[in-house]
Amino acid sequence: MDINFELLQNAIPLLLAGAAITVEVTALSVGFGLAIGIVVSLARLGKWSFLRFLGNCYVDFIRGTPLLVQIFLVYFALPSLIGQRVDPFFAAIAACSINSGAYIAEIFRGGIQSIDKGQMEAGRSLGMTWWQTMRFIILPQAFKRIIPPLGNEFIAMLKDSSLVSVIGFEELTRRGQLIIARTYASFEIWMAVAIIYLIMTFTVARLVGLLERRFETK
Amino acid sequence: MSENLIEIKDLKKSFGNLEVLKGIDMSVKEREVVVIIGPSGSGKSTLLRCINYLEEPTGGEIIFDGIKLSGESNINAVRKEAGMVFQRFNLFPHMNVLENLTLAPMKVRNMSKSEAEALAELYLEKVGLSDKIRSYPDQLSGGQQQRVAIARALCMKPKALLFDEPTSALDPEMVIEVLDVMKSLANEGMTMVVVTHEMGFAREVGDRVLFIDGGYIVEEGSPEEVFNNPKEERTKNFLSKIL
Repeated sequence: MDINFELLQNAIPLLLAGAAITVEVTALSVGFGLAIGIVVSLARLGKWSFLRFLGNCYVDFIRGTPLLVQIFLVYFALPSLIGQRVDPFFAAIAACSINSGAYIAEIFRGGIQSIDKGQMEAGRSLGMTWWQTMRFIILPQAFKRIIPPLGNEFIAMLKDSSLVSVIGFEELTRRGQLIIARTYASFEIWMAVAIIYLIMTFTVARLVGLLERRFETK
Repeated sequence: MSENLIEIKDLKKSFGNLEVLKGIDMSVKEREVVVIIGPSGSGKSTLLRCINYLEEPTGGEIIFDGIKLSGESNINAVRKEAGMVFQRFNLFPHMNVLENLTLAPMKVRNMSKSEAEALAELYLEKVGLSDKIRSYPDQLSGGQQQRVAIARALCMKPKALLFDEPTSALDPEMVIEVLDVMKSLANEGMTMVVVTHEMGFAREVGDRVLFIDGGYIVEEGSPEEVFNNPKEERTKNFLSKIL
């Protein structure tokens, strides 16, 4: 078969702009996910059983349902609840953040629980509160250990964010679909889309590796 | 202020169905060094950990410096007055020695950084580790780490120090350096409760020795009494195995 290079040349800038949006959605979602994750993991490790229960429900629900369904819930089901249309960008970020938050909560929980419990005892026995000990002693050590799984989560979200294309949000995958709808150049475009994803995930993996090594030497 | 710095009445502690402490009455006077000995599993570490509520008692009461302990509400106030030294040091590995020493004084006692650092330098000198101030815990030997841990507890200027088998995790050649620090603290009048297997230390430094077995205080008295003339069969039996 012939590869239409001229078509590719025209398509690549459009796809790259889509890739930028993919990165934006991923970064925002993992960013909000971090905030959600840390709060939820602390709630699940804390002493209030009601908060523990809520945290468990959240994590179980998100991990037990497909991201695609969660996106539909935010984009199609939420509007009938609030009586107002939801902007695709908002829906994309909200669904991905809530999804990412659950996985990151699990990552944090694992990281915090991997810290020797003597550390909490030492902090508490010096008169520090639970939260002070968490903040100054446990979390800084846990952070170091969760860099690799957080990197994995970022890469996973980079790929999974392609699902928001189904609500018409124009990130990389959706851009590819739209170009193909016009040009029928399925092979060229999907190959280009795949390669762009590959370059992004590979770059992130490398960055995480660098970060890991920097923290190790300290 | 009461005469007894620490007073424990009918203290009980169970883990599930296992009753570890079955009713302990004891007191510690100011400037007193009380050494707790006993076979492993006898509850001696649990007793010590109840004193600052690292383990929450299931019965009885603990009065520290006139304050009755009652869980979260006043526990931090008491903990900052009762320093604890652990078997496994529990230094903060992501901080250097100086940061290990200054964190709690700054966060709990609200000391300024320079105040806390001056205090840290003072106590590091006391434990003989002034040259390690910028080192990280994993760069220190076990004995050095334990001395740093003692200095860390001292930086809170506690009214009493609790030692939970402070030399049990150390190589034999490092035990001496830690015991020497503890002896000098005792000589300066620090109130200390020490759970240990170091009978030489108990004999030399202890004002009073408690022998615990099966969740009860079986025998208590001066080191001479307990070590030379134990009255109880169980004490004799225990001492014959370790002396």
